[in-house]
Amino acid sequence: MRRWRSFSLFSVLAFGYAFLYVPILSLIVYSFNESRLVTVWAGFSTKWYGELLQNDQILSAAWLSLKIAVLNASGSVVLGSLAGLVLARFGRFRGRTAFTTLITAPLVMPEVIIGLSLLLMFVTLQNFIGWPGERGMTTITIAHLTFSTAYVTVVIQSRLSQMDVSIEEAALDLGAKPAKVFFVITVPVIAPALVAGWLLAFTLSLDDLVIASFVSGPGASTLPMVVYSSVRLGVSPQINALATIIVCIVTVAILIAGFIMHRQEKQRRNA
Amino acid sequence: MRTATCAAFAAAMTCSLAVAPARAADKVVHLYNWSDYIAEDTLETFTKETGIKAVYDVYDSNEVLEAKLLAGKSGYDVVFPTARPFAMRQIKSGLYRKLDKSKLPNLKNMDPGLMKALASIDPGNAHGVPYMWGTTGIGINVDKVKAALGESADIGSLAMIFKPENAKKLAACGISFLDDQEETFAMALRYLGRDVATKNKTDIDAAAEAFKAIRPYIKYFHGSQYINDLANGDICVAHGYSGDILQARTRAAEAKNGVNIRYIIPKEGAVLWTDMMLIPKDAPNPAEAHAYINFIMKPEVVAKISNFVSYANANKAANDLVDPEIRNDPGIYPPDEVMAKLYMLPDNDQALIRYRVRAWTRVKTGQ
Repeated sequence: MRRWRSFSLFSVLAFGYAFLYVPILSLIVYSFNESRLVTVWAGFSTKWYGELLQNDQILSAAWLSLKIAVLNASGSVVLGSLAGLVLARFGRFRGRTAFTTLITAPLVMPEVIIGLSLLLMFVTLQNFIGWPGERGMTTITIAHLTFSTAYVTVVIQSRLSQMDVSIEEAALDLGAKPAKVFFVITVPVIAPALVAGWLLAFTLSLDDLVIASFVSGPGASTLPMVVYSSVRLGVSPQINALATIIVCIVTVAILIAGFIMHRQEKQRRNA
Repeated sequence: MRTATCAAFAAAMTCSLAVAPARAADKVVHLYNWSDYIAEDTLETFTKETGIKAVYDVYDSNEVLEAKLLAGKSGYDVVFPTARPFAMRQIKSGLYRKLDKSKLPNLKNMDPGLMKALASIDPGNAHGVPYMWGTTGIGINVDKVKAALGESADIGSLAMIFKPENAKKLAACGISFLDDQEETFAMALRYLGRDVATKNKTDIDAAAEAFKAIRPYIKYFHGSQYINDLANGDICVAHGYSGDILQARTRAAEAKNGVNIRYIIPKEGAVLWTDMMLIPKDAPNPAEAHAYINFIMKPEVVAKISNFVSYANANKAANDLVDPEIRNDPGIYPPDEVMAKLYMLPDNDQALIRYRVRAWTRVKTGQ
């Protein structure tokens, strides 16, 4: 009975892993495909990596997307923490309902509407105050901040409302200033939520096509825009190659982070 | 904390503002086009010849381009919309600048037939110049279609798919149609021998009936999925754009999977589509935009683009410079008697378009 249970648990686990990772693995395998066809195997080759390194358009788009994603993730964690803190700690205040609605609106708003309305706003601003003179990285980052902040706020707010307020109160009792309490007590406690929010905002930004298409300007094509645009003349395995490189970098980063966290945990226990 | 963020934000804004004018000193032209829709060395050669830097941005649908043009101040200098229906209505709404033809001496190289066809949407060719063009026809997996219909089947005719008994036989290996009511109805009207530019709702009903008769045998309606499916042998008949089907053919040949694809312009004729080069009214660098358009109209430049993307160009002088493999491909450069049967999508009024869209939705949902 017990053996049967462990076997069924194991197969469910294996199925779950396969569901998550087989698509990524097949993408990596096909990046070494000789053929231009993304779905037919025709022998091993690394030529797509070579061509990718020659392809300025894809590389500069990937670099732009990464820059925007990092800026957006950092910005939306700051804004999202502020909003989450206000919603979780400040009780009822005038305009709270309006604030909640505005913060969560981007969660349910179709992307097309966000994109178009931001585009119209930028054009109107340009007509009235002359800024932004040229749409591009700045406007894409601002647009991404508007919807990423909403997601990050939800994550951080829920963490804050689960947090034990008495430790903050204890610190205040012992004479710490509110700002100090926030940085020394609150931030470390909600750190996992901050990291999760950062990663979520990073992914949302890297993934976004619709909004970026609307608010981008000359000289600013993000990676999803280039990938979708290449549908017209065929998606090339260069995209697989690029995705493989990104997956490798992310994996290495996660491994390093895991290793450091593991070591800190150990030191903490030993101390 | 909040003020610190604000200050940092403001500083970032000021920086991006300060950088902008410094860049404007160099001559630059901003192009907005599909990805990979030029030859590998086009931009480099352009910069070498004219000293103008070319920045190439990409969009993934004509609709995105249109939204940006309508919002205004897009910042692009040359854009490449499809003539119908996009460039047509954009020209009508006055989104484009009139070309200064004294700056375009290479206009003499253009194909007079295509220029004349485009004059129907752009009177006097005042705003735009054709870029690449192609047709909307049928791609078939030759072996599978012959196996299904028999060796003697008439595969050059639309009856191959519109006759229910044929469609039934082809259903097993898969039929796909573009999800585009303009293209599909034009083709069905042509098959029925009716006027493509019809204003009669009864004609639309008849075309819808023709589709309903074969609806059970159609695998799907999609704008690009057929490229891979045709190349892999997952479908055997695809209604699609010439460039896409030729791409499927190349891929199948590269993959050496034994799939033999042919592009057919049905003997009833096919839709001719053109992408155009146009300068938005508020383009920041119109002089450089003219220089770019004139550069593309050079026969040796556009021939290289055709060789790279496998689309026909609208440049008569370039014909001899295009690779014979492409020049002699009847799917890309159809012979004159086939050319005569090509037609452009009609200019319909709103009421008829609405009626057609509803009819198409009913066809797709099988009601």
